[in-house]
Amino acid sequence: MEPVPENIRLVKRAYWLIKLRWIAIVCVVFGTYVSSNVLTITLKAFALYSIATLLTLYNMTVLLLLNRLAKDNKEIPWIAVKTIINFQISADLLILTVLLHFSGGIENPLVFYFTFHMIIASILLSTWESYLQATFAVLLFGLMVLLEYQQLIPHYCLTGFVSRCLHRDGLYVLGTYFIFTTALYLAVYMASYIAVRLRRAEQAYKQVNTSLHEKDRIKDEYVLRVTHDIKSHLTTIQSCLGVVVNKTIGPLDDQQADFISRAHSRVIKLTDFVKTLLRLTEMRLSDELEMGVFSLRNTISNAVAAVKTKAEGKSISLNCNTEPSVDKVFGNPFSIEEVVTNLLLNAIKYTPENGKVTVGVKNENDFAVVEVADTGIGIPENELGKVFQEFFRASNARKVERNGTGLGLSIAKYIVERHNGKIWVESKENNGTKFWFTLPKGT
Amino acid sequence: MENAKILVVDDDLDFTKAIKVVLESEKYTVVTAADRTEGMEKIRVDKPDLVMLDVMMSTWQDGFEMSRELKKDPQYKGIPILILTAVKGRTGIGFKSTAGDPVWLPVDGFLDKPVEPQILLAEVQKLLSKKA
Repeated sequence: MEPVPENIRLVKRAYWLIKLRWIAIVCVVFGTYVSSNVLTITLKAFALYSIATLLTLYNMTVLLLLNRLAKDNKEIPWIAVKTIINFQISADLLILTVLLHFSGGIENPLVFYFTFHMIIASILLSTWESYLQATFAVLLFGLMVLLEYQQLIPHYCLTGFVSRCLHRDGLYVLGTYFIFTTALYLAVYMASYIAVRLRRAEQAYKQVNTSLHEKDRIKDEYVLRVTHDIKSHLTTIQSCLGVVVNKTIGPLDDQQADFISRAHSRVIKLTDFVKTLLRLTEMRLSDELEMGVFSLRNTISNAVAAVKTKAEGKSISLNCNTEPSVDKVFGNPFSIEEVVTNLLLNAIKYTPENGKVTVGVKNENDFAVVEVADTGIGIPENELGKVFQEFFRASNARKVERNGTGLGLSIAKYIVERHNGKIWVESKENNGTKFWFTLPKGT
Repeated sequence: MENAKILVVDDDLDFTKAIKVVLESEKYTVVTAADRTEGMEKIRVDKPDLVMLDVMMSTWQDGFEMSRELKKDPQYKGIPILILTAVKGRTGIGFKSTAGDPVWLPVDGFLDKPVEPQILLAEVQKLLSKKA
């Protein structure tokens, strides 16, 4: 899995904050309604509903702002996302303080909710930014408590919840404020400690991941070089043996001819295997396929033409059903032809004589779906999940053809996935196999 | 084209020997060269009717460069070129798809190594008859 860049993750978190705020808005409305109408607690309901409305407008604005930023440039600058998150947390603290003021001030146990903001800040922001947010919360809350204590602003007593107003009770105010302040700083200290450790661990995983990718590439390059060298020797061996097998340089007796043709056919099989391995390694190493819009119908016709003789050799009927509405797709025609040819050759190989192989194309929204179906030996159910693995061969396939490479379907999967498509299979043993793959349509 | 002269340029001498035998069985005259310099020299001296080229010799693009050089020269551009190689592109496509592109790969035919003698002979015949 590719690591997610830090700024993309922060953008996701910014959206997460917006989601949390929607929940908070619902809770404010619901809580106000229940408190004032069911529990008959004296509340400034109008003010609280107004705050909920304000919160809704504010949340929509932040959402629009984020969407616009995400639309304007694919990569939102790190600093912009950070500022948005800092601003959101500060604004939330301010709104929570106002909400508290209209719902009993220091009497309201809602003060505990400041702790959640501190945890959120510690997860999303750096440690010093989190402490800054905690200080901001302590100052805001302190100011509200002080102004209410000094009666410079009104205090809305939570009658029905507390037996008497507590905002002028010096010891209660001081004690609560002390606990409030320490709770906030402790929350930041603990949450930041965990968040920093997690971030460090994640960083370490990322480094390991990068180095594994690099090692995998080095291994592929090594395999590429080795297989290339092996292939060039095999090519020459095959050509030299071919001259003898074909009796170009003179006749052979029966025994000589038998041994030479055994060696020759083994070399051919080995060369095919090495070629397929080389192809897979090349695919893994190549950065990009040359993509363009091409006719899928023509590509399928080419693939069908390429395997026609093989099908005729086994008296297999080879049918092609393409929906006329699907044709232009986006991708690399040669690679897709390779996929279809691979699937068709497999279908022919594992279908007994007089069987049926069908290739079809269907329309499905933005994708073309190619289907290759046969009436062959099928794949055992417990092996279906492994057919796309490199070097895997189904147990019944090995009985039919001893010398398969087990790489054809891996290559097909690799190519299809490079086209942002999907490939999958359905099969029942002795009851045929169906392969499908999707390709994005070309415009 | 009876008794046509074919130049095979390939640094794999064992392979060249096998190809030579196959071609001679069809009464072609075969001249061989092991690298680009020797190949160009044989073209001047022997004036072949067809050139068969490997891609990767002393450098990995020798064959391509030699074919570009030949097709640029008015004296030699009429000689058909058949590329015969085991090299495949890193892009996931064989050179086959670009063979014939007058700028990138100005050759007349392209076959992957190893090639079946019948296929090779058919291609040679096709290119020679086109020339004739």
